[in-house]
Amino acid sequence: MQPTAHLFPRNAQKALADKTLQAALGRATGRFLHHRAEAVAAFPGFGEARERASEIKRQTLAQLDHHLGRFIEEASRRGAVVHVARDAAQAREIAARVAKEEGVTLAVKSKSMASEEISFNVALQEAGIEVVESDLGEYIIQLAGEAPSHIIAPAVHKTREEISRLFERKLGEPPTDSIPALVAMARRHLRAKFLGAGMGVSGANFLVADTGSVVLVTNEGNGRMGTVLPRVHLAVAGIEKVIPRMSDLPTFLRLLPRSASGQPLSSYVSVLTGTRREGDAEGPEKMHILLLDCGRSAILEGKYREVLKCIRCGACLNSCPVYQSVGGHAYGWVYSGPIGAVLTPLLVGLPEAAPLPDASTLCGACGEVCPVKIPLPDFLLELRADMRSQGLKTPGEIAGMKGYAGVMKRAGLLEALERVAGLLAQFFTKGKPVEGLPYPFSGWTERRDFPAAAAQPFRKLWKTRRGVQG
Amino acid sequence: MRDVDEREMLFRRLSAALGRHGSPGGTPSSPAGPTPPPGKESGRISRFAEALTAVGGVVLSGTPEEALPVLGEALRAEGVSALFFPQDDAGAREVAEALIPFGPFTLTTGEEVRGGNPASTAGFRTADAGIAETGTVVESSNRGGTLLPGLLSDVHVALLPSHSVVERMDEAFALYAEDPPRNISLISGPSKTADIEQTLTVGAHGPRKIIVLLV
Ligand code: SF4
Repeated sequence: MQPTAHLFPRNAQKALADKTLQAALGRATGRFLHHRAEAVAAFPGFGEARERASEIKRQTLAQLDHHLGRFIEEASRRGAVVHVARDAAQAREIAARVAKEEGVTLAVKSKSMASEEISFNVALQEAGIEVVESDLGEYIIQLAGEAPSHIIAPAVHKTREEISRLFERKLGEPPTDSIPALVAMARRHLRAKFLGAGMGVSGANFLVADTGSVVLVTNEGNGRMGTVLPRVHLAVAGIEKVIPRMSDLPTFLRLLPRSASGQPLSSYVSVLTGTRREGDAEGPEKMHILLLDCGRSAILEGKYREVLKCIRCGACLNSCPVYQSVGGHAYGWVYSGPIGAVLTPLLVGLPEAAPLPDASTLCGACGEVCPVKIPLPDFLLELRADMRSQGLKTPGEIAGMKGYAGVMKRAGLLEALERVAGLLAQFFTKGKPVEGLPYPFSGWTERRDFPAAAAQPFRKLWKTRRGVQG
Repeated sequence: MRDVDEREMLFRRLSAALGRHGSPGGTPSSPAGPTPPPGKESGRISRFAEALTAVGGVVLSGTPEEALPVLGEALRAEGVSALFFPQDDAGAREVAEALIPFGPFTLTTGEEVRGGNPASTAGFRTADAGIAETGTVVESSNRGGTLLPGLLSDVHVALLPSHSVVERMDEAFALYAEDPPRNISLISGPSKTADIEQTLTVGAHGPRKIIVLLV
């Protein structure tokens, strides 16, 4: 996927103006947050599982060569063919080659962020192979020719009316305003695809080193259809997905669904190991596993290693006030929200994604919900520092910060300025946010509204209130 | 050939990233032991039933005389018209055949359903295990077992021997750790989606209902 993260300010503005999106986002993130909080409260072992998962991931990353080596060995021993891709171009080449060599003309795919990273579908389509997304949300946006807007709810920005019109146009279905009817239509069309596909493409929530297994977690069950019915199974996964043992799985399974949607466990977990065995009733004859580096080994080397612990639960998105306001598309690449603001610059390069680390209020909510304890707020700050040292801020912003520091150091000057600002604000904007400041401060208000100065400065309020209580 | 070269290069990059000199590290250190069980040890079956019911599953127990009419009624209510089961699963066959008088139900096979038989089906199969912690039914391709009854049907009926209900996920995975089959499936509720207007809808791809028959 071609990143447009550098356009974050423009994309964000567009999102803020989109009423449907705003309503859907508010509902979705609120619902996920609420369910997550309930599920965590109902499960006393959450804190402990979180510590343990974080520690397992940390230790696994510290010896990633060992664990990945073991994974490849065990998977190969059980009949899987393991491929390794350095970058997206190479991954596309391998994917297309595998599909062609296996004689595939139709592939069904379940949701996989990793495959989005490499523009998997484009690779196969260019090779003349049809790829159908089978996750309902992904299927809808594929029909609409759009990009997903949430890790676990990709079509959160579409209404049922829009979806019905889409199904009418693309699938020849009669119009309906019933959601179950829409789901049934998609089920029927996709069932035919599952039964006819030569290859099922999946991602991987986890790769288990000691058994060589690929683990998929879904609610719809599309992941299992595509890995039981077609003759070939291709799993696409980042190298950081590996966990050491099958016995580590329960720890992660106790965290992932609770953090994602507030479920104790998703409807389906599939642990897929090698090809079908002799005497098996069904299952793929061929299994390919495509492991992606695509910038991960470089992350492993640096100070952001822990970001590779991410299990893609989406909790940090839902908890983020910026994500709640602008949604996923604004982030301009596969990953959005706080994890996107950290991961995208690291994977596609800071100059390509420079505004993203700024897309955060540093409220700390993301770090608190993360089930594997990634220090997202620290990383966001660190990336801002990196941006500055790479000269990626506008000169106006830096001058502004310097002037700000100078004023803050002199209490008298600050007080005088506050009084003037307070008066001006009451006079001109009636206390509403200021939407455009004159140059050189326009660099600030181009992307955000400047809060109006309060009628009473905080320090004055502090003094009077303390006096009253005191 | 190219794959092998690429693999070697990846491991070189990883070693460099991890600051290793020479070949990869030895035995990895092992993080803490297994998580202690959530919940109490007694009443495993009722915890299983409670957890599965909470996510929309149905759990039936009792004698066949009690369970069969209820099951038949539930299948009719879901509009089921055909039943299928694995050819080598005697328990599933027995229950499915005993249900015929409660129909109108016909018998079909997994292969026919896979071939595109459009009937509304109930798929029967004996489960490997149950997990009380999460209300999960475990089915696998162990010893050639078929997954189609829990995959392609509209209603899945899982026969679960009470003695095979374990407390935690850990114990269920331990059953397969030695030599994992191709497919271990944990089923915890119906196939569902909230992808359209965040409205929970069942039957996205797989069964819209799961019924567990404790035997
Ligand atoms: S960073 Fe943490 S909270 Fe965010 S998606 Fe990854 S695991 Fe979930």
